[in-house]
Amino acid sequence: MQNEALEQLLRAEPRLWRGVARHHQDKAIPTGFAALDRALPSGGWSIGGVTEILHASDGIGEFSLLLPALRHLATEGAWCALVAPPHIPYAPALSSAGLCLEHLLVVRPPNDSDALWAAEQLLRSNHFAAVILWAGKASSQSQRRLQLAAEAGRTWAVTYRPLRALGEHSPVSLRIVLGLVGNALRLDLVKVRGGRTTTFDIPRHSFDTWQGTAWPIPPVASAATATSATSATSATMMYLLAPA
Amino acid sequence: MKRWLALSFPRLAIECDAAACISNDATAIIEEARGRRVLLACNDAALAAGLHTGQSLNEAYALVPALMVREHDAAVTTGHLEKLALWAMQYSSEVAIEAPGALLLEVAASERLFGNAEALLARIHHHTRRRGLTLHAAVAPTPSAALLLAGATGQAPATATPIILDSHAALVTTLDALPVSALPLDDFTLKGLRQSGIRQLSELRALPMSALTRRFGQSLADMLYRLDGRLPDPRNCITPPEHFEETLDLPVETHDTGALEFVLKRLFDALEGFLRQRDAGVGKLVLRLFHQRGPATRLTLRFLDAHADSHHLLRVARARLGEKRLDEPVTALGLEAREFASVSQSRRDLFQHAEGDRSDLETVLDRLAARLGPDALFMATAHDDHRPEMACQKTLLLPPGKVGNWPTRPVWLLAEPQPLTEAVTLETPPERIENGWWSSDDVRRDYFIARHADGRYFWVFRQRRAPGNLWLHGVFA
Repeated sequence: MQNEALEQLLRAEPRLWRGVARHHQDKAIPTGFAALDRALPSGGWSIGGVTEILHASDGIGEFSLLLPALRHLATEGAWCALVAPPHIPYAPALSSAGLCLEHLLVVRPPNDSDALWAAEQLLRSNHFAAVILWAGKASSQSQRRLQLAAEAGRTWAVTYRPLRALGEHSPVSLRIVLGLVGNALRLDLVKVRGGRTTTFDIPRHSFDTWQGTAWPIPPVASAATATSATSATSATMMYLLAPA
Repeated sequence: MKRWLALSFPRLAIECDAAACISNDATAIIEEARGRRVLLACNDAALAAGLHTGQSLNEAYALVPALMVREHDAAVTTGHLEKLALWAMQYSSEVAIEAPGALLLEVAASERLFGNAEALLARIHHHTRRRGLTLHAAVAPTPSAALLLAGATGQAPATATPIILDSHAALVTTLDALPVSALPLDDFTLKGLRQSGIRQLSELRALPMSALTRRFGQSLADMLYRLDGRLPDPRNCITPPEHFEETLDLPVETHDTGALEFVLKRLFDALEGFLRQRDAGVGKLVLRLFHQRGPATRLTLRFLDAHADSHHLLRVARARLGEKRLDEPVTALGLEAREFASVSQSRRDLFQHAEGDRSDLETVLDRLAARLGPDALFMATAHDDHRPEMACQKTLLLPPGKVGNWPTRPVWLLAEPQPLTEAVTLETPPERIENGWWSSDDVRRDYFIARHADGRYFWVFRQRRAPGNLWLHGVFA
C-alpha cells in the first residue's frame, strides 16, 4: 500500500524521480536518433522539463538535432516557439525540413531578461508543445524558473547556451554538451535526471533531412578552395548561367 | 407592454466624492432650499452621529460641532449621473436621466435576456456595490410609478428589497395602498388634501377628474394619471456618444504605477459597459497619465484582435503600466477608445473547444506583444521568391504563403551578409541568384555551400561585380 502511494506521488510530481530507474510514465517526444532515445530515461525528449544544450559555435548541427522532434510535433499540429534565435530562422529551410510554419512562432525580445520572461509566459500558457530559447546570460535562478514553468505547463523547453556556461550550476532535467568530432556530432550528456551520464557520437549523415541535402556533401569536380583574401577562380561559372 | 426600471441613487451627492465618502470625519453636502441651508447627503460617520438628509445646517451643527460641510456642486453630481447612464446602457437601449439622482431604464426586453427582473437587478446591484453606491430600485409598468416606488421623488422606500410590479393590476393595488404624503407635492397641496380628509392614494384616485382639476389644479391630475398609465408619459432617452473617453482624478498624486490600480479598474469597468452596450470590441486603446506639470504621458495599447473582455484589457494595460517608469507624479488617468470592431461571438458557441484554443493563444500573444512590442513577434513565412531576403517574410497569425520546393537552404539567415574572413572550402557548384530587374539595387550573386576547417557548413556568396570577396549569408545549424 505504501508502495502504491509512493508510485502515485512519483507519477504526479515531476520533481520527484528515481535514481536510475529506466521506467518512466512521462510522455516523451521521440528524438529521431536511436542512440539518443536509448540514453534518455523517458525514451525521448521529456515533456515537462528543460533540456539545456551547450555548444561553442553556431553551425555544428545543434538545431538539426531537434529537427526530427520538431517535425514530429508538426505532424501533430502542435505549436512551437523560437525565442531570441541568433539569426533569422529561414522559412524555406524550415519548411523543407518538414516544420509547420503556421504553428511556429518567432519571438525576438530586445534583451535577455525579456527573452526569459517571454519563454516563461509561453511555457506556462499550455499552448506550446516546445519552446526553444537562446539565452546568453541566464542565472541559475532564471533557469530554475524555466524548469518550473516547463513542469507546470507540461512543455518541452530547450535552452541553447554558450559552452562557457558549463561550469555554472543549472537546475534543469538534461544538459548536453555538443561538439564536432570529424564527421560526427558528439553528444556529451553531462546531467541526466533519472538516467546515467554518457557520451556518444551521432554521424552527420543521419541528419537525413538536414536542410535538404546529404551530409557530408558529395565532392564535386568543380569545387574550388577559396579564402576571402585570394581571388577566386572562374571555374564556377559552368553551372546555371543566364537567368533567361 | 413597456416596463420601467427606476434606479435611484439617494446619496449620490456624497458618493461621487470618494474622499468625503470614506472619511472618518462627519461630512455633509449642503444645499440652499427655500432660503434655508439644509443637509443634502451625509457620509457614514455623519449618519452615525445622528444627522439625516433634510436637516437644517444649524441643527446639524448643534449635534455635531465638528461637522465638515461642502456646498453641493450640481454639475459634478450630474456629470456622475451621466456616466452612470452610459454604464446602464449595457442593460437597456432606452435610458433616461432623471435629475437629481435617478435613472430610468426600459427593461421589458432585458428581463427576458437575463431571465427575470430579479436576476437583472442582482447584476446591477453587484456593480453598484462595487462602486460603493447606495441604490434603491423598482420595476413598474409606468415610469412615474417606478420612480415613485424607488424613492427617487421623495423619501426612501420602506423596504430594502426592490419592488417589482409585473402587471397593471399589481400597480393599481400598490398605488392605492400608498399615503398621499408619498407623492412629490408641495406643502400647500398636501395641506389641502389633509383638510379634505384625503389620506390614501386610493381616495384621491376615486375622485373624478374634473373635481380634482378644479380643487388642486391640472398638475396633480396629470401626475395621478401618469402614475397609473392613463396619460402617456414619454421620456427623453439619451443617445450614446461615438467614442469612449473618460478621465478620473486620483485621490492623491502618485509616482507608483501600482497605486493607479483602483482608478484603472474603474475606467475599464466603464469601458466594458460602453463596449457591451455597443456590442463591440476594441482593438486599440490610449491610456493617458496626466501630470501636474508638463504634457500627459501617452500609452497606446494595441491588440491583435478586437476584445470586449475588460479583464483581459486590464491585464494587458497593467503589464504595460508595470514596465513604465514615472518621472513625474500622476494626478489623473484617462482612457480613450476610438476604433471599434465587432467581436466574433463564435467563441461562446457550441464548439467552444476549437475556438477557445485560438482565442486563449491570442491572449498569450497579446500579453507578449504588450511588453515586447508588436514587432517582436512574428512567424517566418516562406514566400515564393527566389531571392533569399524576399523568401522569408514576417507575418503574424496570417495564412502562410504557398511553400515551394527549395534547393538546399540553411536554417539561419544572417540579417546582413558579412564578409567572410575565415578559410573555407566551397563544396557545391554555384547557384546563381539575381534580383528582380524591377528592384533598384543590383544583386547578382553566386551562392555556395562552404565547409569550414572545423567541420561547420556555411552558406556563402560571391558578388558577380566583385568576385574577390566571399560573403557569409547563412549558417547550416
